[in-house]
Amino acid sequence: MASTRDTFQVPKRYNSLAIALMAIGIIAIIALYITTHGSGGTPAEKHQSDARFWASLLQNSVYFLLVCNAVIFFIAATTLAWGGWQMSFRRVSEAITVCVPVVGTICGVILLTILFSSNHIIYHWSDNNVVANDAALDWKSGFLNKGFFATWTVFTIVAWSLVGWKLRSLSRSTDAGKLTVEEGKRYMWTNTVWAAIYIVIFALTVMSSIPWFWLMSIDAHWYSTMYSWYTFASSFVAGIALITLFVIYLKNTGYLEFTTKEHLHDLGKFQFAFSIFWTYLWFAQLMLIWYANIPEETVYFKPRYFGAYSPIFWMVFMINFVAPILIYMSRDSKRNYATLTFMSMLILFGHWLDFYQMVFPGSVSPDHVPTILYDFGVGIGFVGVILFVTARALTKAPMIAKNHPLIKESLIHHT
Amino acid sequence: MSLLRYESQVRPPLVEGNKDYHQVTEDICRPVEAKPSKLWWIGFLISVAFLCFGIFSVCMEVTYGVGQWNLNKTTGWGWDITNFVWWVGIGHAGTLISAILLLFRQGWRTGVNRAAEAMTIFAVMCAGQFPIWHMGRVWDAFFVLPYANTRGPLWVNFNSPLLWDVFAISTYFTVSLLFWYSGLLPDLATLRDRAKLKWRKMFYGIASFGWTGSTKHWQRHEALSLVLAGLSTPLVLSVHTIVSFDFATSVVPGWHTTIFPPYFVAGAIFSGFAMVQTLLVVTRRVLGLEEYITIEHIDVMNKVIVLTGSIVGIAYLTELFIAWYSHVPYEWFAFKENRVNLNSPYGWSYYLMMGCNVLSPQIFWFRKMRRNLLLTFFMSILVNIGMWFERFVIIVTSVYRDYLPSSWSTYYRPTIWEVGFYLGTFGLFFTCYFLFSKFFPVIAVAEIKHILKRSGENYKSKMDVVEKETFDDFAHEHAHDHGA
Repeated sequence: MASTRDTFQVPKRYNSLAIALMAIGIIAIIALYITTHGSGGTPAEKHQSDARFWASLLQNSVYFLLVCNAVIFFIAATTLAWGGWQMSFRRVSEAITVCVPVVGTICGVILLTILFSSNHIIYHWSDNNVVANDAALDWKSGFLNKGFFATWTVFTIVAWSLVGWKLRSLSRSTDAGKLTVEEGKRYMWTNTVWAAIYIVIFALTVMSSIPWFWLMSIDAHWYSTMYSWYTFASSFVAGIALITLFVIYLKNTGYLEFTTKEHLHDLGKFQFAFSIFWTYLWFAQLMLIWYANIPEETVYFKPRYFGAYSPIFWMVFMINFVAPILIYMSRDSKRNYATLTFMSMLILFGHWLDFYQMVFPGSVSPDHVPTILYDFGVGIGFVGVILFVTARALTKAPMIAKNHPLIKESLIHHT
Repeated sequence: MSLLRYESQVRPPLVEGNKDYHQVTEDICRPVEAKPSKLWWIGFLISVAFLCFGIFSVCMEVTYGVGQWNLNKTTGWGWDITNFVWWVGIGHAGTLISAILLLFRQGWRTGVNRAAEAMTIFAVMCAGQFPIWHMGRVWDAFFVLPYANTRGPLWVNFNSPLLWDVFAISTYFTVSLLFWYSGLLPDLATLRDRAKLKWRKMFYGIASFGWTGSTKHWQRHEALSLVLAGLSTPLVLSVHTIVSFDFATSVVPGWHTTIFPPYFVAGAIFSGFAMVQTLLVVTRRVLGLEEYITIEHIDVMNKVIVLTGSIVGIAYLTELFIAWYSHVPYEWFAFKENRVNLNSPYGWSYYLMMGCNVLSPQIFWFRKMRRNLLLTFFMSILVNIGMWFERFVIIVTSVYRDYLPSSWSTYYRPTIWEVGFYLGTFGLFFTCYFLFSKFFPVIAVAEIKHILKRSGENYKSKMDVVEKETFDDFAHEHAHDHGA
């Protein structure tokens, strides 16, 4: 048996990669700014190019924040369900959640800048002049107003970060020494309470209001009750894919000796199951709107299903449904590192693309797809941030919560 | 060396008391082998009486037509479809427990799955009655089946979610029945082997399909269970999804909303678990099975109830919010005037639904409440009243006021035959359940034995040594090394 490597040390190459990715992100942002703002033009054109620039930051920051936050959700859900199997890599999930305050701050700044700048193309409901001449937006202004948006955004990011921190520090508190059964029970209780608090916050934010504010209000006239749950499903699959990637990387570098193919198999099952769950919501939303054929609702799918975004729309379907269901169907593929790595990356990209088609038609133009390479570059930058922050977090605690009451169950785990 | 049967002592045991394999068989088979009690006869006969009244009510409807019910042109769906959706919903817990919780490796399901699956089958049987008799000219019911016919272009409408329902529910019923029955085989064989009377030996002999308990049998049994679990998992979601399509594909305000599919599924699981609680809180007591269906089981199921109740709550509020946010006057009218407005004819039903389904389950955030049997029983009934009213609210409050006030329906209230039909399905359900609890083991004997050495109280207490080991010792001794 290999020697226990207790704490993570960031390899030089890893560090350089993370910094390089962040650099690519910054270059992409600068390049995007220059290309969109180079030609001057009328104020209207300037607003348009501004929107192009900020939409990219909005899509990327919201996507990666929701993905990291989905990892807190994974921790909270497995805590509430007393899932012992995932304890062997629990610290990896915890390290990823450190990204929530970091990406959250970036995201918060971007959202508030978009909201309070004089450019109202992305959130056109934030322009008083527009609202005054638009009965629907005027009607909605009880919800869609700057004050509510800003307060709720700040509250949400702070709340996620705080509870995430609390769950991590509870986990760290077990490092002090072995717990007796009675102490273990008390520990599980405290953990359950905090996980439950998180779930309530999650219900009020991700499962309802936050996607309405951040994403659905881009197409401010359009509405769908499914929207928030759909957004959740998208980010949750991607969150599991992110955990899988980190676990595989750490396994390959000789850490996490107690995490085996059995655990990875289960992560693969989660990706498989929730990819189908995502498709279920995707289909239900699309089919019901198509079937009822009400213009106020079908307008959303016009550019996506038929128009300029249709290649992306169908690619999202292929990547996020067809690929996982075919490739993950067999047992062997969920136990194969190469397949898992490939699929996890593909799924992360697929849901990134899903967010792309959620954001861009409404904020930039329904008639043409902008050069996606810039946005991809920005996304790479966020990946760099996540790599960097997660690695730092991993070095700060032992890789295994050795005294957690359920850790031994994870060691002998069999799917 | 690797340790296969270990479970943290922090987890409460799932089988209490000092049990071994033989004792498990004895405990669970005892009620089946004993003579039925007086209480059983009373319950059974009351159920049969209800069933008879139900049959009579249906006869009235078939003989004199759907006019025997108070449905009218505007309120074309009333109690019948409400009851249909309600029963289908209840029929969700069994398959969820046996398939999805199996995939999630929830050990506690073994205590409750058998009864829950049986309940599922009976509930789906009840549900199926409503659309059939609602047809009016029930002798033409076979028209829903697509088959080569001489009616020329008269072919079933594949575009209609009502037809999808026919397929979804019959598939669900078939798979659930197979799943339940194949799970029963080893237990029926146990009963056969223990039988002392000739007729019992014959009955259980035929019913157990010649099960011998050989390795080959077990192997095939396990393989079949896995295939059926795989088939059932999407079915749990699809059935109520398609029921929700009955409403959501339309353009009726209050019906057309995209969240319907997942929210119907959550609601179905919610009401299904409530029905499981109703039955098991009583069953465990009457049959003396408290050590197998422990307070822990009740606690966990109450957690599922508070979770699904809250999911449903989020969905209700989302619907209400989007009805306002959409700025569609018809949608907003349906919610504001037909539901939220307490002074509207059916306003009360909306609040009843909210109170029973969203507010009342919140009491289960507290551990003490989750472990209180009386409260659990009361709440389980309350939840199913709430879930009945959910369907009533969706169906009746959405249609009773048409677009033109001249078409507004008079106040719809059911006739005695509509009520009788509903009571009759209760009769059917409980008649079946009483027969089941008399002739079949209400707990899966073989499955309890499967978890006994890991989660049984006496076995767990012997695990002290392992529990006290440090992580490193434990890892050294027991961790599986799969070569990365």
